[in-house]
Amino acid sequence: MKDQIKQWLQQGKVDIFLGYKMVEGHPLPHFFVKDRLYEVDELVTGPIRYPLEKLAIRLAAEDPEVKIGLLVRDCNRRALNVLFLWHQLNPDNVMSIPVNCCPSNLADQANCSLLKPEKAGPYKEMVGIDNNISIEEAKGFDQEERLRRWTYEFDKCIKCYGCRDACPVCFCKECSLEHHALVKTGDLPVDIPIFHLVRAVHMAGRCIDCGLCEEACPMDIPLRLLYKMVNQIVLNVFKYNPGIDSVQSPFNMLGDEVTLEPKGLNAA
Amino acid sequence: MNGKIVPSVCSYCGTGCGVLFQVVNGKLVGTMPLKTHPVNEGKLCIKGWHLHEYVNSPTRLRSPLIKMNGRFRQATWDKALHFASDRLKAIIEKYGPDSVGVLVSAKITNEENYLAQKFARAAIGTNNVDHCARL
Repeated sequence: MKDQIKQWLQQGKVDIFLGYKMVEGHPLPHFFVKDRLYEVDELVTGPIRYPLEKLAIRLAAEDPEVKIGLLVRDCNRRALNVLFLWHQLNPDNVMSIPVNCCPSNLADQANCSLLKPEKAGPYKEMVGIDNNISIEEAKGFDQEERLRRWTYEFDKCIKCYGCRDACPVCFCKECSLEHHALVKTGDLPVDIPIFHLVRAVHMAGRCIDCGLCEEACPMDIPLRLLYKMVNQIVLNVFKYNPGIDSVQSPFNMLGDEVTLEPKGLNAA
Repeated sequence: MNGKIVPSVCSYCGTGCGVLFQVVNGKLVGTMPLKTHPVNEGKLCIKGWHLHEYVNSPTRLRSPLIKMNGRFRQATWDKALHFASDRLKAIIEKYGPDSVGVLVSAKITNEENYLAQKFARAAIGTNNVDHCARL
């Protein structure tokens, strides 16, 4: 794998390779380049996941012609598929090297932060939604209890926008969650359930179930389960599987003419 | 095109969450939580997620200001530090060292806090040192 990356960098097949490097004991995302080829020997893989494709979008937003290589797990692969379909990255400019993630008899080791989920505490189990239950279990509660349990979860939200900022397939220039007509500024708790359901609706047909939103959530809201439930509807009604199907989502309202224009990096 | 990821510590409060800055072409373009950091374990509040915005903010103060005739005016660091030391000296001479207090911060490092209290005790000569977390 390291030889392959070195070869790509030397031959100019990729300008920047996104992988991980150990820095002060922390596996951090790292930009490997031709000028510092020796660093490729320090490339590491492990269970820690960062949205590498989100970094790739930022690079492509600065220079649409840049050739990017990156390590991909299954979730990264699905995210890339979605980003290609939505014209956020150009498939001609992206090269990927698959890395081991999901458990299998054929793989030496399974490597994913999702494999060791945090166990819900007894209070959360009693009044909220355990992040690790299945869709069926979540639908098992009667309606009143479901509303009460989900309201408890949404109530905890501190409106950090981490779910959106960590999401590899969230790329809109204008975000509905920042629209003052939909979400009031300065208020906590947020409008329940509008805030979370607006995001859930936008995740329909787009969420690739990587679980990074949940990992980023300081309040442990079961976001992955919520988006899974939304996507199950998309699958049942439209027979659409985001990240796997090679056509655009049935909710595509942008049309085909979307360009790789630089996003408002300077607007901040 | 060049870029790098820089690990750092959030400068907003005293918690000390680990953050990663994304630098593209020498410009700070994004912030991410540091997943393996023992303090925040991959989570951040809204201020932490937007650290890169205040660094690039057009309203960011880039040089010291001296208030003259009721208005703030831009000054060089040398000028501002001299102005501050002259005024402090004058006040200490006239009213004594206990007329000065030093407020330190949760947002700066232990070492900087140590220096600030040393400055208060050794240079000014007062025990009036307090901390923003007690306000």
